[in-house]
Amino acid sequence: MEAQIDSLRAEALAEIEGAGDVAAVRVKYLGRAGSITLLSEGMRSVPKEDKARVGKALNALRADVTAALEAREQTIERARDEAALAGIDLTLPGIAPQRGSLHPLTQLLDRAVRIFRRMGFALAEGPDIETEWHCFDALNTPAHHPARNEQDTFYLPDGRLLRTHTSTVQIRTMERHVPPVRIIAPGAAYRRDEVDATHLAQFTQMEGLYVAPDVSLADLKGTLEFFFRELFGAGTNVRFRPHFFPFTEPSFEIDIQTAALGGKWMELAGCGMVDPAVFEAICDRRLDRVYDPEKVSGFAFGFGLDRLAMNLTGIPDIRMLVENDLRFLKQF
Amino acid sequence: MKISLSWLKEFVPYAGTVAELDALLTRAGLEVASAETRGADFPQVVVAQILESNPHPNADRLSVCRVDDGSGTPRQIVCGAKNYQVGDRVPLALPGAVLPGDFRIKVGKLRGVESEGMLCSAKELGLAEDAQGLLILPATSPVGAPISALFPPETILEIEITSNRPDWLSHLGIAREVSANTGLPLAAPEIVSPGTRADAAIARIEDPAGCPFYSVRRIAGVKVGPSPEWLVRRLESLGLRAINNVVDVTNYVMMELGQPLHAFDAANVQGGLVARRARAGEAFLALDGREYALRESDLVIADATRPMALAGVMGGEDSGVTEATVDILLESAYFDAPGVRATARGLEISTDSSYRFERGVNPAGVLPAAARAAQLILELAGGTAEETTVIAGALPPVEWTVPLRYERARRLLGIRLTDADLDAPLTRLGLERLSGHDGASEWRIPAWRGDLTREVDLIEEIIRLVGIESVEGRVAAAPAPASTADAFYDAALDVRHTLAALGFSEARTSTLVAKPAGDDFLALRNPLGEEQSALRPSLLGGLFGAVRRNLNLGAASVRLFEVGRVFANAEEEELFYVAAVVTGHAAARNWRDAERGAVDLHDLCGVVEALVPGAEFARAFDARFGLALEVCIGGFIAGVIGQLAPADARAIDARHPVVAFELRVDALAASTLATHGFVPPAKFPGTTRDIAAVLPRELPWGELRRVLREAEEPLLAGVEPFDIFTDDSGAKLPADRKSLAFSLTFRSPERTLTTEEVNAAADRLKSRLREQLGIEFRE
Repeated sequence: MEAQIDSLRAEALAEIEGAGDVAAVRVKYLGRAGSITLLSEGMRSVPKEDKARVGKALNALRADVTAALEAREQTIERARDEAALAGIDLTLPGIAPQRGSLHPLTQLLDRAVRIFRRMGFALAEGPDIETEWHCFDALNTPAHHPARNEQDTFYLPDGRLLRTHTSTVQIRTMERHVPPVRIIAPGAAYRRDEVDATHLAQFTQMEGLYVAPDVSLADLKGTLEFFFRELFGAGTNVRFRPHFFPFTEPSFEIDIQTAALGGKWMELAGCGMVDPAVFEAICDRRLDRVYDPEKVSGFAFGFGLDRLAMNLTGIPDIRMLVENDLRFLKQF
Repeated sequence: MKISLSWLKEFVPYAGTVAELDALLTRAGLEVASAETRGADFPQVVVAQILESNPHPNADRLSVCRVDDGSGTPRQIVCGAKNYQVGDRVPLALPGAVLPGDFRIKVGKLRGVESEGMLCSAKELGLAEDAQGLLILPATSPVGAPISALFPPETILEIEITSNRPDWLSHLGIAREVSANTGLPLAAPEIVSPGTRADAAIARIEDPAGCPFYSVRRIAGVKVGPSPEWLVRRLESLGLRAINNVVDVTNYVMMELGQPLHAFDAANVQGGLVARRARAGEAFLALDGREYALRESDLVIADATRPMALAGVMGGEDSGVTEATVDILLESAYFDAPGVRATARGLEISTDSSYRFERGVNPAGVLPAAARAAQLILELAGGTAEETTVIAGALPPVEWTVPLRYERARRLLGIRLTDADLDAPLTRLGLERLSGHDGASEWRIPAWRGDLTREVDLIEEIIRLVGIESVEGRVAAAPAPASTADAFYDAALDVRHTLAALGFSEARTSTLVAKPAGDDFLALRNPLGEEQSALRPSLLGGLFGAVRRNLNLGAASVRLFEVGRVFANAEEEELFYVAAVVTGHAAARNWRDAERGAVDLHDLCGVVEALVPGAEFARAFDARFGLALEVCIGGFIAGVIGQLAPADARAIDARHPVVAFELRVDALAASTLATHGFVPPAKFPGTTRDIAAVLPRELPWGELRRVLREAEEPLLAGVEPFDIFTDDSGAKLPADRKSLAFSLTFRSPERTLTTEEVNAAADRLKSRLREQLGIEFRE
C-alpha cells in the first residue's frame, strides 16, 4: 500500500507538471473515480495497527497532489495572462469614436454667456421678426433714419422687419418685466448687405441691458472692462471712445487691445447709458411709470460675435462660418 | 471727411504731432480713419537747372550733368534718366538729404565718375506712386529754392463723423473741438454780414417745409477765371476738383464753415428764383451731365421756366458759372434735412452739399457763409456785390436753453466732480451758463449745436471732455434670477453637447432661404435675391445643402446638426428646432472593424433616444421623406425622423441613405426639466431566455412587441431583438420568411425565479405569439 502511494505520487506529480488541462488531471486523481480516491478505498483492508500511518501517508499524497494542481493552474493562468497582453501592437492608431464639434460661434458665445452669468446676468430673448416700433421707434431712431430704409433692412409684406440689431430685446424685456433688469441676449440680426468676405446678411450679436435705480457710467465701465478682461485675459486694454447711438447717451465704442487679437486696437462693441427717450417710450407702452428716467437709469451694450470669432481664430472669410465644411467645423 | 492740417491750424494754433492730434480727436469721439502726409518735406532737396549733359565715359545708360543749384557753383551729377533736356529745372537731392525709405544721399562715384548729389523722380520724393524719369519742374521754379516751396508738406486726416454732429463737417467745426479739448484759442474768420431784404420777385419759397429759408445775393461784373494756386491746392488736397474762382470759393467756404453754397449765372435765370416741388414729369439736367426724372417730392430751385438746381443736392448743367459768366446769384439756404436725404437717396446722388444738408446745417451760419463767400469772390474775381441780401422764409430758432442738475450728472456718470468741474467743459464747448441755483443751472446752447436739447445731452458732453478714464469702474449689482430663456439656453446647449459627443458637428445655415414649395411660409418684401427670399420653415433644407457640399468636397460620411430658429406662417411664428442629418458609415473606417454598415433610420432613432430617453416613435407621413416616424415626447408630437426618398438622396449626391431628424427644442427642454420618479434597482437577478422565431418577412417587430406587451406577463421585465436573418436565395430559409432572434428577460422584485417559473412564462408568451401571429420557433 505504501509503495502504491509513493508510485502514484510520482506518477501524478509528473503528469501535473506537463498538464495542459489541469481540470482533467484533477478528475483523474481526485475525482470520484480518481486513482487517489480508489486507492483510499484500500484503507479498509489495511491492518488496524498500520491504519494511522497509511492514512497519514494517503493524506500527504492528497495534499501534495492538490498543491501541485494549484501550482500548475497558477502557472498556466500566469502564462495566459502574459500572452493576453503580449500580442498587442501598441503602434497601431487608436480606434476613434465618432467625434463631433460645437460651432466656433457657439463656443465663443457660450464663453461670453458664462462670464456674464457670473456677474449675475440672466438671459433674455426676442423674436427675429420685429415691428418697426421695437427696432427703431422705441430705440429713439429718427423717423427718417437711413437704417429704416428698404435698401438696408429686410421687410416682410405686412410692414414688419427682420431686426437689424439685438437691441430690440432691450425693449421686449422692459415691456414685460419691471426693474431691476439685468439681462444678456444673444441672437441673430439682419442687414441687407451683399454677402462678401466680411459681410453676411445675417449675423450674430450679443446684447446686454442693466436697469435699476442709480445705475451709472461707472457700472457700465466696470462691467465691460471685467467682461473683456475675462474673455481675453488680464493684460487686455479696454478703451471707451465717445460715439453716437440714438438709444444711448452718453455713448461709446469699445476698443480692445490684446495679444489674442494681434496686439492692435480693435473696435469691438458699442455701449452707453440708456437714453431717457427709450425709457419714455417704454413708459408710454406700459402705461405706467416704473421706467421713469428720473427713477431708474441703465446701461446697454452690444457686440458682434462673427467678427470676433474670426479675429480670435484667424478665419479670413466670414462665409466660412456658414459654409459648414466639416474640415473646418471639426477643428473647433 | 477730409481735414487739412494746415487749414485747421489757421483756426486753432495746435502744435502737437499728427499722432497726438489723432489721439485727441479719437478721445473726443472723432474717429481718425487715416492720416496721410503729402508734399515734399525735404530741406536738402532744391530746384536745380540742368546746364549741360554729356555721355558717361564708362556707361551707355548714364549721363554726366552739370547743374546749377543756386549756389553759384555748378555741380556734377551722374544721372540715369533720359526724359530731360538741357535747361530743364528738376529736383536735386544734395548730399545729406534723406529721401523716403531712409535713402541717404552722399557724394560718391558712379562707374568712376563723381556725383555730388542725385536728380530725383517724383517717386523718389514720395510725390507719386510710380514715375519714369526725372520730375520736370515748371520753368518758373526759382533755382535753389527748397522743393518744399513747390510741394508744400500737407497732412490730410480722414475723419469719420457720427451723424449727430453735422457741426464737425467743416474745418472750423473741427477747430472748435480741438480748442474745446485743449483750451487753445479759436480764431474764426471775421465775417461782416450785409443787411437783408425780402423781394419775392427775386426769391420766394413755395414749399416752406422743404425750404424754410432761402437767400440770394447778386454779384455783378465778376471776372471768372482760374483760382489762385493756394485755393486750387487746398481744394485738391481735399480731393475736390478746381473749376473756376467763383465755384471754387463756394466749395472752399463749405469746407471752411460747413454751409453748402451755390452760384448761378444770372444771365441764365429767367425771372426770380423759387424754391418749389418738382412738377410731375419734369426732367433736370444736372451738372454731373446726367438727366434726372424728378418726382413731385423733390425740391428744386427754379426760375420762371425750369428747375435750375436740385435743392441742396446739385446744380444744373446749364445754369452754372462759366468763363462767360458776368453776373452771379449766390445762393445760401436752409433746406429740410429729411427732404434732401429723400431726394439724394431717391435719385442716387450723394454730394458734399447733400451730405451736409441731410445732417442739418447751422441755421446761424447760413448768412455769414454767404457773406464770407461774397467777400472772397470780390477778392478773387472782382465785381460788385449788392448791398443787401434778398431773403425769403425764416430760419429755425437759434437760441434755446437746457437745464442741468449737478447731482443728476454725478449720479448718472458715477463720478465725484464739483459743480465748477461740471461747468468747465460746457463753457469750453461754447455753452453759456445763464443762471444757477439749488444745484441746477441753465445753459444757452450755441446755434451750431442743434444736437444739445436735453439735460442728458449736456451730461454726455461733460464726460466726453472730462474723459471716461476719470470714471472708476464698478461691478456691484444684485444677480438677476434665472429666466425661462436661461433654462432654454441650457437645454439647447445640453442638446448641442450631446450631439457633439455622438459625433455630430454643429452647422450654422442661413435663416434666409429660397421660397419653399407651397404658399405657407413667410417671405421678404425686399430680398437680396431669390435664393434668400423666404424665412426658413425648417432647418433640414440648409442641412441637406451642407451635406451635399461636404459630399462634393469628398467627405465619405457626414454627420451635422443645427440648433436654430424656424419660421411658420402661424400663431407660433418663431420656434427653436434642433435638426441632425447623417449619411454614410456609422463609424469611421479603422483597422479593427473592416465591416461598416451604412447609417439608416435606426441609427437616428437611437440618437433621439439618447437625447430624450422615453421618446416614442410612430409611423407617419412627411412629404420631405420617403420614410418617416413621428417623435412623441410626453404625449406631445415633438418632430420627425425620416429617411430621404432615394431620388431625393441622389439629388444631393448621396450614395448611402440620408437620414435626418428635426425636433422642437422646447419639447426637449420640457423633458429635461420634468421631475421624474425613481425605480429602485432590482434586488434579485433576472433570467434571460433567447428565442429564435421564424415568421413572415413583412411582419414587423412592432407586432411581436405589441403581442408581448398585451400579454401583461407579470414576470417579463424586458424584450430586445438581437438578430434578424433573411435569405433571398431561399437556401437557408424560405425567401418569404425571416429569422428573428430576441431575448426575454424575466425578473421578480421579491425573489430569485426558478427555472420552472421562467420556462413556464416563456412558453406562455411563445404560445401567444404562435396563436396570434402564426410565428414558429426554433428550439
